[in-house]
Amino acid sequence: MERVWQELIDAGTGGDRRALGRLITRVENREPGWQDAMKALYPRGGRARVFGITGPPGAGKSSLASRIAAILLGQGRRVGIVAVDPTSPFSGGALLGDRLRMCDVATAPGIFIRSMATRGTLGGLCQGARDVARILDAAGFDLVLIETVGAGQDEIEVVKAADLVVVVCVPGQGDAVQTLKAGIMEIADLFVVNKADREGADALVADIHSMLALRGERNREAPPVLQTCALSGEGVDRLVAALLERADSARSSGERAGTRIREEILTLIEGELARVVRRRFAGESRLEEAVRSVRGGESDPYSAAQAILETLELWR
Amino acid sequence: MSGERKIRVLIAKPGLDGHDRGARVVAYGLRDAGFEVIYTGLRQSPEQIATAAVQEDVDVIGLSILSGAHLALTRKVLDRLGAQGAGDIPILVGGLIPEGDKQALREMGVVEVFTGGTPISSIASFIQSRIANP
Amino acid sequence: MSETQDDLERIAEAEEQWRREVLEPRVKRFQIEKSPTRFYTPTATRGFDFLEKVGFPGRYPFTAGNNPFDFWRAHAEAGAKLGIRPDSAGGGAGAGRYSGYGTPEDYRDYQLRMQSLGSRGGPNIAFDLVTQCGYDSDSPFALGEVGRVGVALDSFRDFQVIYEAFTGDRDIDKVASNFTINAPAAVIIAMYAALAEKRGIPLEKLRGTPQNDILKEFIARGTYIYPPRPSMRLFRDTLVFCRTELPKLNVTSIGGYHIREAGATRIQDLAFSLAIGCAYLQAGVDAGLEIDDFAPMVTFNAFGGSMELYHEVAFQRAARRMWARLVKERFGARNPRGMMIRQPIAAHIGCTSTTLQRPLNNAARAVVGGIAGGMCGALPAAYPPFDEPLGLGHSLEAIQLQVDATRILIYEARIADVNDPWAGSYFMESLTDETEAAAQAELERIDGMGGAVAAIESGYMQRAIARSAYQRQKRIESQEDLIVGVNCFTGPNELEVSIHRALEKLYDPAQMATAEERQCAKLAELRRERDGKVVSRALRALEATARDEAANVMPDLIDCVKSEATLQEICDVLRGVFGEAEPVKL
Repeated sequence: MERVWQELIDAGTGGDRRALGRLITRVENREPGWQDAMKALYPRGGRARVFGITGPPGAGKSSLASRIAAILLGQGRRVGIVAVDPTSPFSGGALLGDRLRMCDVATAPGIFIRSMATRGTLGGLCQGARDVARILDAAGFDLVLIETVGAGQDEIEVVKAADLVVVVCVPGQGDAVQTLKAGIMEIADLFVVNKADREGADALVADIHSMLALRGERNREAPPVLQTCALSGEGVDRLVAALLERADSARSSGERAGTRIREEILTLIEGELARVVRRRFAGESRLEEAVRSVRGGESDPYSAAQAILETLELWR
Repeated sequence: MSGERKIRVLIAKPGLDGHDRGARVVAYGLRDAGFEVIYTGLRQSPEQIATAAVQEDVDVIGLSILSGAHLALTRKVLDRLGAQGAGDIPILVGGLIPEGDKQALREMGVVEVFTGGTPISSIASFIQSRIANP
Repeated sequence: MSETQDDLERIAEAEEQWRREVLEPRVKRFQIEKSPTRFYTPTATRGFDFLEKVGFPGRYPFTAGNNPFDFWRAHAEAGAKLGIRPDSAGGGAGAGRYSGYGTPEDYRDYQLRMQSLGSRGGPNIAFDLVTQCGYDSDSPFALGEVGRVGVALDSFRDFQVIYEAFTGDRDIDKVASNFTINAPAAVIIAMYAALAEKRGIPLEKLRGTPQNDILKEFIARGTYIYPPRPSMRLFRDTLVFCRTELPKLNVTSIGGYHIREAGATRIQDLAFSLAIGCAYLQAGVDAGLEIDDFAPMVTFNAFGGSMELYHEVAFQRAARRMWARLVKERFGARNPRGMMIRQPIAAHIGCTSTTLQRPLNNAARAVVGGIAGGMCGALPAAYPPFDEPLGLGHSLEAIQLQVDATRILIYEARIADVNDPWAGSYFMESLTDETEAAAQAELERIDGMGGAVAAIESGYMQRAIARSAYQRQKRIESQEDLIVGVNCFTGPNELEVSIHRALEKLYDPAQMATAEERQCAKLAELRRERDGKVVSRALRALEATARDEAANVMPDLIDCVKSEATLQEICDVLRGVFGEAEPVKL
C-alpha cells in the first residue's frame, strides 16, 4: 500500500481529525489504492454499532440524530454521523444541508459528522456509507448513525449498511403510512413517531401497528413503535435504550449478518464490474459500431448489449 | 461510488448576521455547477466553521458576512482553522465588504472577495481553476 | 367603466381590427416574435365597480389611500418656505431619524449633538446584532459585532443612559420612541415602562413603535431567538400589556420590506405579510382583546419595492384593499382605523434594487421608487441614498440627492397633488385585480397550512423565498432580467467617477473600535454593584411565569430589568423555558 494511504490511516485512526476527513474523501472518491486501504482498515473495526435513520422529508431525522448523539455522548460514547442527501441528476452537484440541524453537537470532541451525496451511481450508495461507517469504526467511534431521506431507492439501499434501521415519521403528513415505501416498512427494526406533541400522533402509532399486523411478519417479532419529540428531547432516551438493547442482538444474529456480508460482497463485485465495463467500452469501436447500427435501424439496444457481452465470455 | 472527484464547498455564515439570501443563492448555484455544497446555516462560531471544514474535508470555504464584522470574524475563523491543522483550505469571502477592506482580508490570507453582482458562474470557475492549480 | 355590453363588444371588435391592421404588421415589419408593448382598453375591466374596488381616500376599502392627505402634505408648502423637511412637520415630535451605534454613551452624545443642530424627534433606535439576538456584549457571539449595526444595550442602566438625551421638553411623554427590536422586544418595552415609572411619567403617555415583528425574522432577517410558538406567546404578552398599560404605543411594525429583500416575489411579500398580520390579529383576539381596540395599533413598517413602478403601485393598492377586507370580514372589525395599513413610507425601492456597479445610477433608481410612493399617497421617498451598496455609510452628497429628489417630486413635479392618480385606469385596475387575486391564492394556501406560524414551522415560507431568490439570480445571469451596468451595457473600461464623498460624520471609527471593550467593562461594573440576590429572585419569578402559558411575563420582565439583570440573563431564562429556534433545512 502506498505510503500516503498508510500515513492517512495511521493518523486518521490515531485521532487526527484532518487526516480522518481526508481519508474518507479518498475512499469515497475511489482513489487508486482505496481497496487496500479498506482491507487494512477492516480488521481495525468491528466494534461500532451502525444505526440507519430514514423516513420521509420533514420527519425531523437530523434533529433526532442530533439528540440521539447528544445522549450517547453523555454516556461517554463517541459517535459518528453520516448524513446523506441526494445528488442532483442534472448537475451532479448536491446541497448537503443536514449538518445545519446538528449544530449543538457538532463541535463536541466525541462527534464526527460527515455529509455525503448519493452521487447516483452504480455499485450502490450503501457501499459508500458502509465504507465511511467502517472508517469511523476503525477510528474508534462506538456508534455510527447513517441518516438519509427515505424518498428514493438509494435511500432504502443505504440502510442495508446498518445493523439496525429506524424509520421516522411524523403526524400530519397526509396518509403518512402510505407514503412509506414498501421497502422501508420491511427493513424497519424500530418505528419512531417524531413531533409526537402534534395532533394525530396516537392515530399514526395505531396506523403503523395495523400495517405491521397486516404484513404479519413470520419469524420476527413486530418492531416497536416509539414516540419522540426531537425538539424537546422527550422520548429520545427511551429510543436510545431500545436501540442499544437491540443492537447487540442484531449484531450477533447469524442469519442477518450472513445476508449483509453476502450482499456486500456482491455489491463490491457489481461495482467493480460496472466500473470495468464503463472503462473498457467508453469510446471503444465495438460500442460505437453498435450505437451506429442501432441508430441506423439495423439493430436494437438489446441485441447490441448481448453481442458485446458475449465477447466478454462470462458464461462459459 | 463512481469514483469521480467532486469539489466540496463549505458555505458558512459566521457571527450574528441573519441575512442569508446571498449565501443560499450561491449554495444553490454551486450545486447546479456540479459541486457538493455544505451549507452551515446562521450563527456559526469560528470553531463550528473550522470543525465543519475539517470533518467535511472541503476544498474551499466561503464566508458570507453582511454585518460589517468581516475583519474580526474572518481573522478568528482563520485562527481556528490553523488550530485544527486546516490552514491550507482556501477561503473566499462574500457579502457587504467595502472596497477598502478587501486588501486587509487578502493580507490575512483570504484568497478572493466576491461581492454583490458577481455571477455565480464566475465564482464556480474561480473555484475550479483554483483547485486545479492550487 | 360605465360602458354597456354593446360598447364593450364594439371596442373588442375594434381592438381585433387594430391588432390585424396596426399591431401585427408592425411586429412583422420589425421581425420580432410579438409586440414588446401592451395596450389596455375598457374590456380589461369589465364589470368594474368603482365604489367597491376603489372608493375614496380615507374610506373603506382604502384603495385610494388612508386619507386625502397625510400630515406632512398638510403644511408642506409652508414648511418649504421655512426650510423644514417635509416629513418632520406636525405637532408632537414623532421619532426622529433611524440611527444607532457604539455604546449607549456614544449614542446619547450623538443624539445631544443632533438636538443642538435642530433635531426635535424622539429616538428611532437601531440596536446592534448582539442586542437583537438577546446576548450581552461579553458573550462569545459578540465578537466584532458590539455597537456595529446599532447601539449596544446590555441592561436597564444602558437604556437610561440613552434617554439622558431625552429630558425636559424632549422627555418621553413629549416625544415618541421607535425601537427596531424583535426577539427581545418584550424586554425593551419593559425597560421603556420602567423608565417612565422612574421618571414619574404615566405609562399612558408613552408613544412610539417597537418593531416587534418576530415572524418575519424567521423568514427574512434572521434575528430570532425562540421557536415560533413561544415567540407568539411573547408577542401576545406584549400586545395585551400594551393595550392595557401603554395604550398609545403601537404594538408592532410588520415588515414585508425585509421579506422582499430576502428574495420573495412581490406576490409572496404581499401574501406572507398579510398572513403574518392575520396571525398577530388572531393572537389578540385569542387573548380576549377587542379587534376594534387593538387593530389600529398594528402598523406596517413598509412592504418591499422594486424598479417595476406600475407593479408596485398596483401592489400598494391591492395591499390596502386586501388588508381592509381581511380586518373587516375575517375579524369582524368596525373601526376603520384598524383597517388601514399605517406605514411611514411606501413603495420605495429596496437596497437589493441598487447596484454596486456604477453607484451613481442608484440615484435615478431611487427616484423611480419615489414616484411610485408619491402615486400611492405616501411620501415620495427617493430612498436609499445612492452609495448604500458601498457599505461605508451614506455620504453627505448622497443624502442631499435623496432628500432633494424627494422635495423635487413634491414641489416641482407636484406628484403628491392627486390621490390615487391611477384610479380608473384600465391598465392599473386590471393589474391591481391580478395582483390581489394572485396574493389571495397564496394567502389561502397558507391558511390551508394552518396560517403563518404553521407555514413558518414547516419551512414553507423559507423555502419559497430561497427558491424565488435563486430564480431571480438565474434570470439575472441569463439576462432574462436586465440590470443596466451589471449584466448589460457594461464595458471593459468603466468610468472612474471620483465623487467627493464626505461621509456623514455619524461617529468616530476610533470610538467604535473600543465599544466592545467599554461595554464589557461596564458589564463587569454592573455585576459588581448590583444585588445578586435581587437579580436571582427576579429571574426565578420570570421563569415560573414563563412556564405558565396563560400568564403574562411583562410585569416580571419589568422587575427583572429594574433588578439590573442583563439582557442576556433575562433572555437565557426564557431560552431555558422555550428552547431556541432550530434552523430550517432548505
